[in-house]
Amino acid sequence: MGFFLETMFGGLMAGMLYSLVALGFVLIFKASGVFNFAQGAMVLFAALSMARFSEWIPQWLGFDNLVLTNILAFAVSVALMVMVAWLIERLALRKLVNQDGITLLMATLGISYFMDGAGQLLFGSATYKIDVGMPKEPMIVLENLFEGGLLLSKEDLYAAAAAAALVTLLSLFFQKTKTGRALRAVADDHQAAQSIGIALSRIWIIVWSMGGIVALVAGVIWGSKLGVQFSISLVALKAFPVVILGGLTSVPGAVLGGLIIGVGEKLSEIYIGPMIGGGIENWFAYVLALAFLLVRPQGLFGDKIIDRV
Amino acid sequence: MATKKIGDVILDVKNISLSFGGVNALTDISFDVREHEVRAIIGPNGAGKSSMLNCINGVYAPQKGSITFRGKSFSHMDSHAVAVMGIGRTFQNLALFKGMSVIDNIMTGRNLRIKSNLLLQALRIGPAQREEEQHREFVEHIIDFLEIQAYRKTPVGQLPYGLQKRVDLGRALAMEPQVLLLDEPMAGMNVEEKQDMCRFVLDVNEEFGTTVVLIEHDMGVVMDISDRVVVLDYGKKIGDGTPDEVRHNEDVISAYLGTGH
Amino acid sequence: MFYRENGQFKSTYRADLQIFPILQDRIAIGMLLLVAMVAVPLLASDYMFRAVFIPFLILSLAAIGLNILVGYCGQISLGTGAFMAVGAYAAFNLQTRFDGMPLIVSLIGGGLCATVAGVIFGLPSLRIRGLYLAVATLAAQFFIDWFTNRVKWVTNDSSSGSVSVGDLNFFGLALNTSVEKYLLCLMIVLVVGILAKNLVRGAIGREWMAIRDMDVAAAVIGIRPVYAKLSAFAVSSFIVGVAGALWAFVHLGAWEPAAFGIDKSFQLLFMVIIGGLGSIVGSFFGAAFIVLLPLFLNQVPHWLGLPLSTATASQLEHMIFGALIVFFLIVEPHGLARLWLTARQKLRLWPFPH
Repeated sequence: MGFFLETMFGGLMAGMLYSLVALGFVLIFKASGVFNFAQGAMVLFAALSMARFSEWIPQWLGFDNLVLTNILAFAVSVALMVMVAWLIERLALRKLVNQDGITLLMATLGISYFMDGAGQLLFGSATYKIDVGMPKEPMIVLENLFEGGLLLSKEDLYAAAAAAALVTLLSLFFQKTKTGRALRAVADDHQAAQSIGIALSRIWIIVWSMGGIVALVAGVIWGSKLGVQFSISLVALKAFPVVILGGLTSVPGAVLGGLIIGVGEKLSEIYIGPMIGGGIENWFAYVLALAFLLVRPQGLFGDKIIDRV
Repeated sequence: MATKKIGDVILDVKNISLSFGGVNALTDISFDVREHEVRAIIGPNGAGKSSMLNCINGVYAPQKGSITFRGKSFSHMDSHAVAVMGIGRTFQNLALFKGMSVIDNIMTGRNLRIKSNLLLQALRIGPAQREEEQHREFVEHIIDFLEIQAYRKTPVGQLPYGLQKRVDLGRALAMEPQVLLLDEPMAGMNVEEKQDMCRFVLDVNEEFGTTVVLIEHDMGVVMDISDRVVVLDYGKKIGDGTPDEVRHNEDVISAYLGTGH
Repeated sequence: MFYRENGQFKSTYRADLQIFPILQDRIAIGMLLLVAMVAVPLLASDYMFRAVFIPFLILSLAAIGLNILVGYCGQISLGTGAFMAVGAYAAFNLQTRFDGMPLIVSLIGGGLCATVAGVIFGLPSLRIRGLYLAVATLAAQFFIDWFTNRVKWVTNDSSSGSVSVGDLNFFGLALNTSVEKYLLCLMIVLVVGILAKNLVRGAIGREWMAIRDMDVAAAVIGIRPVYAKLSAFAVSSFIVGVAGALWAFVHLGAWEPAAFGIDKSFQLLFMVIIGGLGSIVGSFFGAAFIVLLPLFLNQVPHWLGLPLSTATASQLEHMIFGALIVFFLIVEPHGLARLWLTARQKLRLWPFPH
């Protein structure tokens, strides 16, 4: 039983990481209607930026304070992601207003390839470290309930807390603020939003910057845990099944979807894996998403899609 | 002009009710259509006219009621079956295949009659080639009829609206339908284009005996060419009869002009 | 003044329905075929065959397959690599488990297995479309990745996970040299290309395009969406499967599942987008582009005297691909094929400006 719970916690924590990536995704879709295939690439780009700048800043400025380095590196990375958002809006999105979903999807696919190459060109392609002072030692809890206690990772708990805070902030933003509501209008219909005077360009820059910043947070947490390497952008592909499960327009859905997939992956790997050779984690998320698509395409909390003739 | 022979009831709509979520699009609609006639459906915007046609075509499934075609009743229609039965349709918003040329668009209407399987089509020999040519010839007759010869190879997305409407009609005609449902075929046209379109509709009705069910806003056209008229308002039927009867119907007048006139 | 249709009147529908109705086009294609079948085998070097012509032909074939699904029928698929894998491994099993199995039978068998996989994984397209379908096809990609990796009999119980085929022969004629392999690929591509062109300009092609453009209207006309979509998946997967088998047998010789991973799927999708969605000719353009660009990127820095490391070259390649995708989608969503068509229109008027 103890092992089961540990596995479950491990799954929850992994799921939390997926949710973090998915959040940026939902943000962009909810507010601009674009299925951002480049979200994983943005996470990698942001993480690389954070990792390298936290290396370079002490070298350039000649001091050694970890907290200050991290703050500066974070600030620089935020600025970088905002610039990326501006570039994406200016060079790509502006010209593709009103194109259908597939075209936009393929455009973001192109953007993701571009960012993959650019990120590695600018920052290098080795594996890099991010150290934001997260505690690395595991902790043991509930020793009285289970023999030996349960092994949990403190780092994961911090990550979960960060994700929870982010989710709350984003939910409040969309529900309560004027900008949030304007963003939801934009996502619905680009042309209509323009015709009532919403400045599409500015909105998109804001939205994609926010998506970029969320990607940065996700990248920092992932990178701190796993090290920053190219495979992050591939693992981030898993964010898509997460949002399918949760609903493309739902912030809480992204969290729930991530948790379900994280736990589902781990549990099926441990318990069903040995029966069929292992490696289930590679496709479990996608097959689950497929099942959802056939039964409930809008996911757990998404808006129902109506086809008008 | 010789009076045409109007036959028995070919299409019978009984007690159709359709709603989306809380919105009632159609409430207890019943009317019939006789063979070879031109039946107009009129009513203010939002009355449910297109929804009615969509029910007949199987695009929407009504919650209540039935549709009878040549004696066979259905509680809801299946689009493919409807096409096989010989009911053709044009669309208010021009559901043309924008990526294809005029010829190809109209050829899709011949699809039901093409029998060669995939392999024969891939090899394009013998029967497959002959079929393709035969149907092409039929489509060319339709193109002649609709006077769009000059545009046959143009992608329809590039044609002006009036011509696109003709292609829409051509595609429906290619199915050799027994009943033709026309959803505002003259919307957005000027006087000359409307006259052309009326001519086509009447020719189809008189030469081929095709029954026509026509949604139209232009009262002049309706009064001129239809044999009988159904009037809808807010999803309910408020009038049914010959153009003259309907023109003098109190409910119809107040629906169009508003009460208190 | 050369490219005019003056005087070329067609008096039968059969004549108008030809693939190349214009005489100048027929001459051009004839010359191209002559070059491909005679000049290239005589003049090209071994390197050119292995690095350029053979991959170009095989990838064109795969691109034709994918174009049928994405370009003509409008069903997006990110799982093409997986279907190539199915074709490759099925052909491999047929070839190695049965002594004396003719190559063509193995290839067709590979294609048919890919067809089955394609139809199964294409079933979701009956209920979902667009972006959602894209994610669903990822399920096909990763599941089949895993399947070819883990299920032992697929690789004939190979311990390392990688497999190879021995010497190939075509009904007794040994296929050892690059020229012979090239000619085999050329022959297959020509045959499949013609069959594919016949399909897309015939009734089923119109059905596919109708579904792509407006599937509700298509249903009302009597086109069955189920048949149209599944037939698109079936035909597309067959062609992609054969291409996969050829890629494995002829181009790679020895391979492992990673050869058909998601990168391959993206590569093919790029080919089809850049080349031109909904165009058989475009598939060739896209494949040529994707094959030539890396070679170009490798050579140009040398010419300019700035050598790039392979890592940098590959990163630049990624950036250029990505940028070109976005560029094409903005400027010419119909890809190189449309640019080519526009060029030909201009050629018809030449030397007049309009």
